[in-house]
Amino acid sequence: MNPLPIAWTLLKANRLTSLLFLFLFLVLIAIAVALGVAITAQERALRDGSARAAQPFDLIVAAPGSRMEVMFNVVYLRASAVEMLPNEIVTQLMGERGVEFAAPLAFGDNAGGYPIVGTITDLVTHLGGVAEGASFTERAHAVAGADTPFAVGDSIVSAHGDGSSDQGDHGEMAVVGRLAPTGTVWDRAVLVPIEFMWEAHSLATGHADPDAPIGPPYDPAFIGGVPALVVKPADLPTAYGLRQSYRTERSTAFFPAEVLAEIYGYLGDVRSIMNLLTIATQVLVVAAILAGIVALMQLYRTRLAVLRALGATRSFVFLVMWVYVMALILGGAVLGLAGGWGVAGAISSVFAAETGMNLRATLGGEEFALVGTLLGLGALLAALPAWALFRKPPVAFLR
Amino acid sequence: MSLTTQGLRLDFRDPAGRDIRVLDIAEFTAQDGRLTVITGPSGSGKSTLLHVLSGLLLPDAGQVRWRGAQITALGEGARDRWRRRNVGMVFQNFHLIDELSPLDNVLAPGWFDRFSVGGLRARAAALLQDFDVPQARGRLAHLSRGEQQRVALARALLFDPPLILADEPTASLDRVAGATVIDRLRTLADAGRTVLAVSHEPDLIAAAGIVLRLERGRLSPQAVAA
Repeated sequence: MNPLPIAWTLLKANRLTSLLFLFLFLVLIAIAVALGVAITAQERALRDGSARAAQPFDLIVAAPGSRMEVMFNVVYLRASAVEMLPNEIVTQLMGERGVEFAAPLAFGDNAGGYPIVGTITDLVTHLGGVAEGASFTERAHAVAGADTPFAVGDSIVSAHGDGSSDQGDHGEMAVVGRLAPTGTVWDRAVLVPIEFMWEAHSLATGHADPDAPIGPPYDPAFIGGVPALVVKPADLPTAYGLRQSYRTERSTAFFPAEVLAEIYGYLGDVRSIMNLLTIATQVLVVAAILAGIVALMQLYRTRLAVLRALGATRSFVFLVMWVYVMALILGGAVLGLAGGWGVAGAISSVFAAETGMNLRATLGGEEFALVGTLLGLGALLAALPAWALFRKPPVAFLR
Repeated sequence: MSLTTQGLRLDFRDPAGRDIRVLDIAEFTAQDGRLTVITGPSGSGKSTLLHVLSGLLLPDAGQVRWRGAQITALGEGARDRWRRRNVGMVFQNFHLIDELSPLDNVLAPGWFDRFSVGGLRARAAALLQDFDVPQARGRLAHLSRGEQQRVALARALLFDPPLILADEPTASLDRVAGATVIDRLRTLADAGRTVLAVSHEPDLIAAAGIVLRLERGRLSPQAVAA
């Protein structure tokens, strides 16, 4: 036997009602799958993107306070008011043995809406170095991130604040290099010597001699203020040692991964709830679809009864209906998978544009498992319309 | 004597829960090579009798035999397969599949027992040609009602069944189209098939070799044509 041609005939039946039903089924299934895919893929994209962004930052030392706030400041460049570290701690840390470099950071300005980060050339090198031009060697030099519109040779103006309002200019800089892409929010940053930031805010510029070249060592008496340092320890024991040593009343030290683990914990809890809601939605959608198909089957019941009269076995007619329902569910699932991926991608794009974090929404095992579950459930439940139809003998529909 | 029944009895339950006897036929034989017409008032059980004879419906009591084999003793699947190979069913409203071409409608029963109907295509095309159906691959909606009923007749003959059961085959046709169908049924009977139709149509009754009347579930001879 071959139920496919008859099932295909039912599927392409050009009755307006049938087409409407088919369309509704496809949309309903697509929404159910898209919801699931959007949640899982988006959450994974968020995890991957945030982890990738935090990767270059081995250890962060900052003034005591919210680690999450510091993390968002340093790793994701979300500007907020944070405390300054005592200057002697800054110089002490920069002079520690076993530290490859400790890069002080200063935030609070922007160039055309792109955040300016004051730091030292070691961080430029650590982030991947310049893809074009050179790193900064003068106070009024800048290295532009890969996603900024600034080219080598451009002159840019530093302005106070995040660029959301006109808060006054701090002076001009020359773009001398462009960072190699990092796939993080730092691609939207403009890196400048920290001395430029201090000077722009009328603070001491790190050196007793105002004409001293940029870069460490700094004199603790002349440091203009450092909210946090990115530290690159030489090895793991040193990293743990520093983390321990700088967890004091005057400073805090943490691995970004620690904070990410906390965030993922919250994300996981939210996702568990969302997953339950998604599953409940899918069950409701499948139930609604089956109820619709049972109703739709009433349109076909005479045709199916005729098939029986012409010699089709009950199993043949059952298979016709099963294939018919499964084709709808499969079509809806494929469309939903694509739709969910598209939605997750769109959300990622919006998020990436908003934060600069490079999020990639990809379909993974979880999404395919979700669709597989839906198909498996559908395969079992697709038997219901057949059962519903044959509660009455086919002769009841033959006149 | 290919098709016989014995002690056939069937009750339906009405909405009030009372049993109503629909069929109560002591003995019935449909003769080979004859067009037998069963007539009777609406609701007298004519279609139900066809359903019982085709094995679609089991009687509460009695037997249906085809060439000695007791059809009513077969399981549902076996009855389906017997019907597919031995019975050609024709309906008042044709019951064709609108989305299929005339040729694919004729071939439809082929899908019930084989994966490919390629081997049946030539026979289906020949049947349509024999029944004067134009545009075997065209749209069904472009055919007249008479042509559509002839497609249904061709479909009934796909497996060359020896028994034809027709339920009001001319009731929804005009007189000319009806006459063509009646002529075809007679031709099928003349070729040796057992042809049994239920109908009110005077023209079909007049063309029948045997006419029986079903009333209150009981069969009685009405008239025998010359």
